[in-house]
Amino acid sequence: MYLTTHTVCYTVYIAQYVSHGTRVNESPFENLKLELRRGCLVLAVLAQLRVEHYGYTLRKALADDGLEIEESTLYPLLRRLETQGLLVSEWREEDKRNKRFYRLSKDGKMILKQLLEEWRGMGESLDRILGEAKV
Amino acid sequence: MNLLNRYLQAVGRLLPKARREDIIAELRANILSQMEDREEALARPLTDDEQAAILQHHGNPTVIAGRYSERNLGLAFGVQLIGPELFPIYKRVLLLNLTIMGILAIVSPFIVPAGTFESFLSPFVIQISVITLIFVILDRNKRTVLDKWDPRKLPTLQDPPEDGPNARSVFNFVTLAVGIVWLAVLPESPHLFLWTSDLGNLSLPVKPMPQWIAFNWAIVTVASAQLVLQFFRLFRWLPTRKARMVDLALKSVGLIIGVLLLFKFPTYVSSESADLARWANLTVLICVIVAVAITLFGVGKLVFSLLRERHQMLPARQY
Repeated sequence: MYLTTHTVCYTVYIAQYVSHGTRVNESPFENLKLELRRGCLVLAVLAQLRVEHYGYTLRKALADDGLEIEESTLYPLLRRLETQGLLVSEWREEDKRNKRFYRLSKDGKMILKQLLEEWRGMGESLDRILGEAKV
Repeated sequence: MNLLNRYLQAVGRLLPKARREDIIAELRANILSQMEDREEALARPLTDDEQAAILQHHGNPTVIAGRYSERNLGLAFGVQLIGPELFPIYKRVLLLNLTIMGILAIVSPFIVPAGTFESFLSPFVIQISVITLIFVILDRNKRTVLDKWDPRKLPTLQDPPEDGPNARSVFNFVTLAVGIVWLAVLPESPHLFLWTSDLGNLSLPVKPMPQWIAFNWAIVTVASAQLVLQFFRLFRWLPTRKARMVDLALKSVGLIIGVLLLFKFPTYVSSESADLARWANLTVLICVIVAVAITLFGVGKLVFSLLRERHQMLPARQY
């Protein structure tokens, strides 16, 4: 048992060391920006899907409104939101090609409404805090 | 489009089987639209380099597939050790290694005397440790490792679309043909069942039961129909959906035959030696159980894919 126990302990120790030791040195701003963006993306996608889109046109529509999202983030996100019941999708032919079109579900509309209220509330609070900070 | 097909193949290999075709079809539609937009803007077809640049921007196949995993699982011990992008591959590699180790652990007592519990457990722990460490290091450096990839270096297509026969389909066809011939001559030459001509000359041959001969011909007929279907599929002379429906019908008939063999006529061969008869019947029974299980799985898979295509209007497999 000696070897086995020690192998496990050393593996955990080395893994922890590697995780901390070789951490990519990103600026705190980049990390915080990423965190801030993460929540906003879901809100933006839900809001944009009040009108039906397929993956590529949704990405373009978001980019046109100033929100660039990587394909590798957006397309899996659509699947996750659909799994959560916030979106519905269907395969349909357009321009001689089958495409998967997404739109907001009934639950999605409700959640979007609640999220937007939350968003506006937070915005107002933040404005007040920033206003007070100025003074 | 060869580059796109190779890219989708690379992503598809890492996706869960149940959702693979659906996700790949969606990715294909999105990337093709993006490429068409670019062509429209440039007013000319894209070069290979430009296609590669789009795919490069789209992301490393490993990362893409990881992000599609249903639950964003990772390995954590206080801090995250392996992120969700690499976790599916880590799981696969670990599972493969542990399976090999497991088989070796089962077989080894027959070769060398069994050791202590520690000597049995240690190889497993060492395997898990080494693989975990490799993946932790890889995860820490994934930005430098995973971003350095070139779509032009992706593996060539395994199953190129509409290219006629390929190595796999030819192999399947030949294997099925040999199997049919073997089954067809089996009632006349039961020693072939034992895979050795020497036993056929012994004084204790196995004789097939009369009902087995009747079933054998039924199996040969269904398998021959499968062979004809495979021939059509080999050259893609039959639309995919139709071919799958015929396949489903043939597999269903095969399943009925298998189930009848299992439950109605469990004695397949007789012999003057009771031991030989028992051994031979048990072998055939195991073969029939395996065949029924495989056919049942095939029928289920076909029903599921046909129903899903119907509901979702999912385009037929394109890569």
